Amino acid sequence: MKEIKEHTISARQACVIIVMCIFANKILLLPSLMYEKSKADAIFAILILFALDLIVLPIFFKLKQLFPNEKLYNILSRKISPFLTKLIYLIFSAYFMFKALLVFSVTYVYFKQQIYQDEFLFLAIIAFIPVINHATAVGLRSFARSIELLFSIVLLGFIACLAFSLFTQLSMPIFFISNAKNFFTTIYEHTFAFGDYIFLFLIIDKIQIKKGQEKNFYFYSLLGMGLILALFFLFYSKYQITSFMHNNALADILVFSVQFNAIGRLDIIAMLTVMVITLFQLEIYNYAFSESFLSLFPKLNVYYSIAVFDILFAILYYIFIGKYEILVGSSDIWSPVPAIFINYIIPLICLIIILIELHLKKRKKKDQTYLSNKK
Amino acid sequence: MKKFFKGCLKNPMVIVFILILIFFMPIAIYSPGENKNRGVVTAVGIDKVDELYEVSLLTFIPTANQTYKDTNSVISGKGKSVADAIYKAQIAMGRKVGLAHAKTTIVNEELLKEDVATHIDYLSRVASLPENTVFICSNKTAKEVLETSKTLESNVGLKLEQLIGFNANNLYVTDTSLEAFYKGYYSDVKSSIIGYLTIMDENEVNGHATQDENNSTASSKNSDGSSDSQGSGSGNNEGENIVSQKSVEQNSTGQSSGQSEGQAGGGGQSKSTSSKQILNQGEAVLLKNGKLVQKLSIEQLNGINLLNPKALNQIVTINDVKFEDKTLSFNFRIKNKKVLTSTKFENGIPIYSAQLILGLELVEIVGEHEEIKINTEFSEITPEIAKKLDYQIKKEFTDALKVLRENKTDVIGINDKFFRENRNSYLKYIDKIKEIDNFINFVNFKLSLIIQPD
Repeated sequence: MKEIKEHTISARQACVIIVMCIFANKILLLPSLMYEKSKADAIFAILILFALDLIVLPIFFKLKQLFPNEKLYNILSRKISPFLTKLIYLIFSAYFMFKALLVFSVTYVYFKQQIYQDEFLFLAIIAFIPVINHATAVGLRSFARSIELLFSIVLLGFIACLAFSLFTQLSMPIFFISNAKNFFTTIYEHTFAFGDYIFLFLIIDKIQIKKGQEKNFYFYSLLGMGLILALFFLFYSKYQITSFMHNNALADILVFSVQFNAIGRLDIIAMLTVMVITLFQLEIYNYAFSESFLSLFPKLNVYYSIAVFDILFAILYYIFIGKYEILVGSSDIWSPVPAIFINYIIPLICLIIILIELHLKKRKKKDQTYLSNKK
Repeated sequence: MKKFFKGCLKNPMVIVFILILIFFMPIAIYSPGENKNRGVVTAVGIDKVDELYEVSLLTFIPTANQTYKDTNSVISGKGKSVADAIYKAQIAMGRKVGLAHAKTTIVNEELLKEDVATHIDYLSRVASLPENTVFICSNKTAKEVLETSKTLESNVGLKLEQLIGFNANNLYVTDTSLEAFYKGYYSDVKSSIIGYLTIMDENEVNGHATQDENNSTASSKNSDGSSDSQGSGSGNNEGENIVSQKSVEQNSTGQSSGQSEGQAGGGGQSKSTSSKQILNQGEAVLLKNGKLVQKLSIEQLNGINLLNPKALNQIVTINDVKFEDKTLSFNFRIKNKKVLTSTKFENGIPIYSAQLILGLELVEIVGEHEEIKINTEFSEITPEIAKKLDYQIKKEFTDALKVLRENKTDVIGINDKFFRENRNSYLKYIDKIKEIDNFINFVNFKLSLIIQPD
């Protein structure tokens, strides 16, 4: 098997990858979708979803500590059965494929509206696919470095979008107007857009975490989550009851009020930011797909996985082409089920493995002490 | 060098890049410019004529030219729906319609007799239309407004959005964009304000000016004897504050144009019989459920904006001020403003309290007085002046409030404020009165002013 070029990445590189994952599927359409059901209370819904995500992080650290250089696949194969592991990895493949599809679809529609209203799918695919394929082919370390290199620019663009929105008319959104049913339904329906730490589990063997670097993960996570929360807050502050009409949050908060009409359109900042973020997210999801695929078919090499990704991507996108609502709508309807499994059940399985492992270690230690005492 | 090329060719991304260049460069070089396929629309006008929609597009078509003249055209199309009419206009233009730069949307007053949201549904669905597009209506057809504005731009370089932008900055203050309209439309009280532009023929304008002069005289007479608000509102009698822009209509061939007959699918080349003027009187219209319920004068708008801290520069006129045995009229400009508001329920009655700290600047004294340059005594706000200003400002607010109450509208966010600050009491009260629209009629307003010279 010609494997994906195995390179390790630093803790900081893993952190910037996490920020990119946190941004995924949340900066354009999600604020509008969530507002439809739970109004401005959607901010509390994402707070809960972020909190659930953050709980996963200590599980990851403990797993890494117990199995420092082992792949998740090997851990799961050993601890649960190889068959179940294959099944989990099959779900992983589908999960990351649909994540990539959703990211691409939302961004594609955004660019179609903003730049070129005629059909330009072919151009979009030409612009994205070779780059993400190349990123996967050259390996995790290379694209992690490129994300690290451009991270400050992306961050600057994001913050600039938020900052410019402060010049428009804002008023405090009204909270606590949705009922409990709508609120929890929103949380359930949009679980798919979260679960941002799962990628870390997939590359657990490739991350070098030195002692004390765990706090960096928390810092970067809180930074990413803070920015998303700020985006939601500013978006709802600006549009309030018409939030449901605006599908591109990061760009829409940049649109100036009538008073600034003469200045022109500054949403180019959002466009560039979204473009770079999307590219990185697609690279991450493509890599995650390849990693899962190659675990399922260890005899194949990375180029096969890339080819399968491209073909599946094209077929699935073709099915959904022009039916953007189907893709977005389906992400609310069926996607929560696999999302709950991947985002929360898998970490829970890992937690059980950790607890068993700790228990076994403890017992082993006890036995050793007993034996040495006996001797 | 050879080594370098070999190294490059080994890199798959370089090969991909070269392939992209090979495939796309010739296409890019030979493809026509985007402006040959697309007309940049800077304003959209919607009219309804004989059950057909007529959409007029003020279109900027970049052409190689020594000057920028004649690059703007009004192109129209008629259809059963707005989408159909735009499609016809597109055919007439010979280009695709690019709405991303449309900064103004105009509808004819007639369309406001029905729910206007149904007429502009297409625009709200076309995501490329910017949200900050100004939404206004006019007494004449939207097409006439666009044609007049076209020549206005050619003749004096004043763009329609600049004219409206001035209003937005200085008069409406409450946003009058398409977005703001929808915010009001989807609110509980379903009310919003949009701008209003008057189009008049030259003859009408002359008549109007004469009438205004008479009005001014009449109001002066009133102000001599009584404190009727007609002339003493904000000091800007209509005939005086009209920003009128005369524009001689010209079509692209230089002939005069004006009354245009856009045909279904036909272009907007039109012929004229007389010159027209845009009379920007700073008026606006109050909409309820998307329908026009009342036209607002600049005084009423100022009254509505009184509680808005961003609304500055309005002129407040007080009459009959006695100074050294003379009776004078004083004009003050609101230079700065601080607004403190609170809401509460007292004995089950909703009370809206507002305290305004106004910094006023004396800008004009009307009447015979000797010293014009140094009048430090005038800069002081005497108790008499303060009393008159207090009365005048409160009167303006009361008049504006009366309009809002009569039409059961709320464009100053009374409901919103009560909901935010006294949610439970407010909801109980709404349950009691069973009509959220009518809430404004039950609110007790307490307005207190602190007037300071600035």
